[in-house]
Amino acid sequence: MSADVAALIRRGAPTPCAGRFVLEIEAWQAMIARLRAAELPLLGLWSDGVQVHALFRQGQTPLVASVGVSSEGYPALSPVRAGARGAERIIHDLWGIPATGGSRDPWLDQGRWPVATPLAAHSAPTPGLPEGREFIDGPAVMRAGGTVLGHGPAEGDFRAPFHLRLGLPGAGIEAVQPCMGYAHRGLAARLRGLAPQQAALLVARIDATATVAHQRAFARALHHATGTPMPAQGVAAGVMLGAMERIATHLDMLAQASAMGGDGRCATLAATMLEQVRQICRELCGRRLLFDVIVPPATVKVRVEDTQLATLVGQHALLHRLFWRPRGLAARVRGKGVLSAITAARWGILGCNARAAQKGQGDMTDRLDARLDEIGESLSLLAALPEGSAMAPEGGQGEGLGWAQGPAGPVWHWLRVEEGHVAAWWCGDPSLALVQALPTILSGAAYEDVDLILAALGLSATGADL
Amino acid sequence: MAQLNLFWPEGMPLPRLEALDIFHIESGGCTGCGLELASLSRALLAGSHPIRFVPTPRQAGMLLLTGSLTVGMAPVVELAWQAMPGARVLAVVGDCAVDGGLFGGNYAVLGGVGARARTRVALPGCPPAPDEILAALVRWQTTEGKR
Repeated sequence: MSADVAALIRRGAPTPCAGRFVLEIEAWQAMIARLRAAELPLLGLWSDGVQVHALFRQGQTPLVASVGVSSEGYPALSPVRAGARGAERIIHDLWGIPATGGSRDPWLDQGRWPVATPLAAHSAPTPGLPEGREFIDGPAVMRAGGTVLGHGPAEGDFRAPFHLRLGLPGAGIEAVQPCMGYAHRGLAARLRGLAPQQAALLVARIDATATVAHQRAFARALHHATGTPMPAQGVAAGVMLGAMERIATHLDMLAQASAMGGDGRCATLAATMLEQVRQICRELCGRRLLFDVIVPPATVKVRVEDTQLATLVGQHALLHRLFWRPRGLAARVRGKGVLSAITAARWGILGCNARAAQKGQGDMTDRLDARLDEIGESLSLLAALPEGSAMAPEGGQGEGLGWAQGPAGPVWHWLRVEEGHVAAWWCGDPSLALVQALPTILSGAAYEDVDLILAALGLSATGADL
Repeated sequence: MAQLNLFWPEGMPLPRLEALDIFHIESGGCTGCGLELASLSRALLAGSHPIRFVPTPRQAGMLLLTGSLTVGMAPVVELAWQAMPGARVLAVVGDCAVDGGLFGGNYAVLGGVGARARTRVALPGCPPAPDEILAALVRWQTTEGKR
């Protein structure tokens, strides 16, 4: 059935972007009807104001279906792909394009922007709501007897801001309403009209926990758009720096989760390892957090010293033992924050969170263990001296799509280049799917565990809001 | 003189300081400054240092902002500031918080609080390293903070 849908998409009009096809409205509706029974995962949904684009994955191949936007909007994908809900609401907020049959509730615009639909050709100024939009509680919260607690956007922690409204009828959370937009910086508007080198500076600062992944995905999209091959040294540097970033981000989450879970030994070791990794990054490319290392083509030394690597490997083995020791962190967080394989598939969650759901029940223990495994794999990758081959561009006619594996899952970038400047851009970050799955993940959890569960998920509001 | 040496193998000498409770708000940025502050917070906690990050503005003497101040976070920052007791100071860390950095004003961003309010500590950088942040805090506390 997936092959049928893919064939239907490929019958559309080809575009300058390899793998993107424009469908007539009837074909788009036929695609939605067939998606009900197909297993084609949706990876992203966005608009450029003229068309709406849906990114699917067939096997390992990306496939983009586009449809022109009419005055009524476009037929919604959310009835057949739940993960499209957030993206449809974002498109409505930014462009004013409604999804027919989908929700029009705001996602990013909480009523404080000075203009409505800021990306539309004729965005209108609005007075704004001084108090922002109010929550409308559903029946689950009403059943909770008025017991409602908030979480965020300012908890004195170090994460990007977002708000959760939690309904608790008893000890466990029953209703969760996320409120996003606090971290929205208008990146799509900012990138329009910039030269790629300037755009790359902003892309590197989408999310510090996945900066290399964003830089690599953007660089790949740019190479496809401009038709220039990516040099082998740049590819190898990207692989190495991606591994370093994965290690650092996973260690940061392990340190956070260990500290919140009351495992001081794990927390101290993870934090010490993290600091060593940051120092290595500074020695390699002059930056602890790996900003601006991929574009322009990296000239960094793609080799970590053997002694540094051996130290990290030894510490990783110790961290693994500490994690699984009796009464260690693994036992303390077992059964909390379950993200099952079904939930992951429903919301289009990929990456280490999805892998954790495959290897067990998908609770925090599985997720942190998956991160420990990925640290080990990344250290092995660094020891094997990654070699990259030059990447041949696809398309080269002004439009490109690129992706890279980030610490929380795959990161996608699409861009259209006109006269040497970015004309349109989109970024797909795994955090958007995680935010949408939060009501399921937090269901039944104790309020005191919310911070812990969020830390282990690797959810970044700044990646979700852009 | 205390030594802070969890993350600096050679050790970092620190003068004896008054207690300083800091409430941090990420006001809309890439969280790079937040990551470096988290590293600093862990080091301070491990060293039982009197400078510490607290989970509520109601017990903080310093409001430390990172990020470019989105329009959504502006009222949150205002509320936190109003909730702080007694004498309080504002600190901004990172290019975004100092003057907007790469993220100047647009429909969603006000462009950093450093250009809009009187700050006692302003540390640029993208992001500044933990030792630079600590040095700026210690410098402020040993000079202005004692007044």
